[in-house]
Amino acid sequence: MTKEAIIEELRTIVKPYIQNEEGFKNLNENTDFINDLEINSANLVDIILDVEDEFKIEIDNDSMEKMLSVKATIEVIQTKMNA
Amino acid sequence: MHNIGNDIVDLKFAETESNWQRKGFLEKQFTQKEQDEILNSEHPFLKVWLFWSMKEAAYKCYTQSVEKRFFAPQKFECSLFSKEEGRVVYGDIKFYTTTSFNTFYLHTIAKVSKEVSTCFSGIGSSKTVQIDLKIKLAAITGVLSEEIEKRKTSVGAPLFYHQQKLLTKSCSISHHGNYGAFVFT
Repeated sequence: MTKEAIIEELRTIVKPYIQNEEGFKNLNENTDFINDLEINSANLVDIILDVEDEFKIEIDNDSMEKMLSVKATIEVIQTKMNA
Repeated sequence: MHNIGNDIVDLKFAETESNWQRKGFLEKQFTQKEQDEILNSEHPFLKVWLFWSMKEAAYKCYTQSVEKRFFAPQKFECSLFSKEEGRVVYGDIKFYTTTSFNTFYLHTIAKVSKEVSTCFSGIGSSKTVQIDLKIKLAAITGVLSEEIEKRKTSVGAPLFYHQQKLLTKSCSISHHGNYGAFVFT
């Protein structure tokens, strides 16, 4: 899956949790879930679980630890999908 | 280390915006011991959010000194001494927590040291939490609240300054739903 396709999919996943519309409009590879989208940390787990469901992958704790940004999330998804 | 962290949970908001019974929700964030304790509790919903706020408050305390960010809630293991007092262990570091409850929210403060050091905290509307903090800080330091300026550390922890003078040794701000809370020392 290309980076662009993953970003599109992530846009749909994060939408219900975002609190910063401006950050969401500009969502790109460098977007940080908490600093840019103001997603509440209590909802981070929902994003992780949604990513698992959508991409049909299993995310281990070490990978989850890094998933605070679009970039890190893309890396985890690509690694798991190619595994 | 005088660091201090806090976390507020709007209980109504937690009920509508999160689903703790969702598959994977407990497994990803809580240790086996915590999961057992939650599921055997009389009020599993409250236990979930009590543990979550303890972990989050401890994380916010920890990241002020290490300046790195990560999402590893399972690595912060909670245990309770009483309804309000608890401990969170992360590796070889222990954090001591105090939680206050009412029907609308729960609020946890985490410190590294058990000793009582002077700290100030407040709970109010999510929208005014920063103004509330500045007013409290102004009252303590004697500077004008309008002249107090917030700056963020590299991990996003807030610090408050009056011109070049740092007014807070450690500070933590938390938002959830309608509520905002702060703690500083």
